[in-house]
Amino acid sequence: MSEEVDISVEFAGIRLANPVFTASGTSGYADELGDFMDVSSLGGFITKSITVKPRKGNATPRIVETDSGMLNAIGWANIGLDAFIDEKLGALEKLSCSVFVNIAGETIDEYVAVAERLAGERAIAGLELNISCPNVELGGISFGTEPEQVAEVTSAVKKVSGDKVLMVKLPPAVTNVSVIAQVAVDSGADALSLINTFTAMVIDIETRKPVLANRTGGLSGPAIKPIAVYLVNKVYEEVTKSLGIPILGMGGIRTVSDAIEFIIAGASAVAVGTANFVDPGCTAKIVEGIKKYCAGKNISNVKELVGSLEAEQDAAN
Amino acid sequence: MLEESLAKKRGNFSATVCANKQIRERFYRLVLEFSGEGAEAFAKTGAGQFAQLDLSDTALPSVEAIPDDLADVAERKILLRRPFSFADVTTKGNKTSVDILYCVIGPATLRMTTLSAKESVSVLGPLGNGFWVPDGTKTALLVSGGMGAGPLQHLAKVLTSDFPDIDVIAFAGARSAEALPFERRLDEISQQLGFSLPEFAKYGVESLVATDDGSAGFTGPVTGCLSEWLGRSKSAGKGMVIYSCGPEAMLARVAEIAKEKNIDCQVSMERRMACGISLCQSCAVECRTTGSNETVYKLCCQDGPVFDGSEVAWGIE
Repeated sequence: MSEEVDISVEFAGIRLANPVFTASGTSGYADELGDFMDVSSLGGFITKSITVKPRKGNATPRIVETDSGMLNAIGWANIGLDAFIDEKLGALEKLSCSVFVNIAGETIDEYVAVAERLAGERAIAGLELNISCPNVELGGISFGTEPEQVAEVTSAVKKVSGDKVLMVKLPPAVTNVSVIAQVAVDSGADALSLINTFTAMVIDIETRKPVLANRTGGLSGPAIKPIAVYLVNKVYEEVTKSLGIPILGMGGIRTVSDAIEFIIAGASAVAVGTANFVDPGCTAKIVEGIKKYCAGKNISNVKELVGSLEAEQDAAN
Repeated sequence: MLEESLAKKRGNFSATVCANKQIRERFYRLVLEFSGEGAEAFAKTGAGQFAQLDLSDTALPSVEAIPDDLADVAERKILLRRPFSFADVTTKGNKTSVDILYCVIGPATLRMTTLSAKESVSVLGPLGNGFWVPDGTKTALLVSGGMGAGPLQHLAKVLTSDFPDIDVIAFAGARSAEALPFERRLDEISQQLGFSLPEFAKYGVESLVATDDGSAGFTGPVTGCLSEWLGRSKSAGKGMVIYSCGPEAMLARVAEIAKEKNIDCQVSMERRMACGISLCQSCAVECRTTGSNETVYKLCCQDGPVFDGSEVAWGIE
């Protein structure tokens, strides 16, 4: 067993101590996690969605548990750009992991306004462009499903984001995710994150009404993991591999082996979402587990694992 | 002040089951014991605070033990933790034990019934903010509906031990005698009022019982019992605080009564929540703001679960 495993990764020009992030909307502004783990032990941290103006979010119920998953319809509840900069950036700057801010808006101008303000902030390594949220009436997923819209919002934000890494978060439920991925990259995305949640519904059969006040919500959790692994691998093979664009893979990760599956599929790094709700310290365990797995397989650098999926099933099987 | 004594420290601790007693029908009382850091953290639990239990690995009861109405959902997998407040918290030497009063209502609480002595449970807590005691409090009225009696038992203990000058009276309501979550068969003492509930009497707290169908105590909702009592009371208003926990419609009525009588009122709210630590933002409670008609969403897990009754925007949604 090799003692020294290097699990640091280079991600769109940024050096990450390890390939594990917490996913946007599942770990607040980072201070909430402090009682349960050392956030600096992550490779990267992604804030919840930040919009120009504060947003109250949707009415309740905002969540419902499903078999091996959950639906959420929070509706970008956040304190708004000004309060985020005044109240949260200071603490984020002290973290030794790379901080990404998830940015959202109802119009392209709103995305641009948030990106422009954050471009000059030292605390931030990159922006995650949320064009795939299923839970708001305007904006969100409507930007992520039409290639022309993806191009327009991505290039507009790229123009104002200075030296910040621009990562575009893709929706899973499109005819061909590779088309959207290609457009995002062509329009200036330095990295891609996938997948966001699937639009879904739960009905109360007593009242015959949707359980969520928002009617629909985004499905996350272990239930979506195999689809996410497939889509990451598809985008890796069809779009990013040849271009050297990194993927942040996510969707139902809660164990070490889940994370490793995504890396083998082609993700340079992974983000843990819903699992933080159950065990807010689980990402630290996943970081350690990746190290152990590499050591056990005599892999000296986790890079070797990225996209290492064997092409064919063994004929003997 | 009670508020200041709330635990600052919280975390993810392993607890050992000491007892899991069926009180009757669907009601159980689970006793969990913490040692080490968990004992320290939970020793400071304030009345009305809560914890999140991981019941995903807990076994199902045998088929015969599953109530008919839960047979269809019994085998659903549990992903998220479930929130519970405490009916009692006791410290002995370097151990802290907490009592959880629960009712079997779904797949998670069904599994909970199989927890047996010496089993361990993962407990995230203590979480949220509990009840507080305003300066000048002379009389505390504890008003519960159904399972809401749990945290008010803990509050009765805290008030009588830490604030001996405060008079404490409990009002406990339910649909029927059968639906009262207490050990004593109240239908056997149906018309007897005063000192009827050992759970409160052991702290020297008088209790009044109300049932919708009149099978025990006052006939009608507990809020009717409260109104009648306040109507007879000569000192209603001054130095009086109503503490309430139960169904939301009942809490709204309690808050309304309190407002009419100019009495301070604190309510313990309930919301669907995934994490309990403000990561998921799902447990929104709509609250009024001072000096404006605007409402804001506060989080049940972080700003509550105990709110000032006049702050909650009842019935706006």
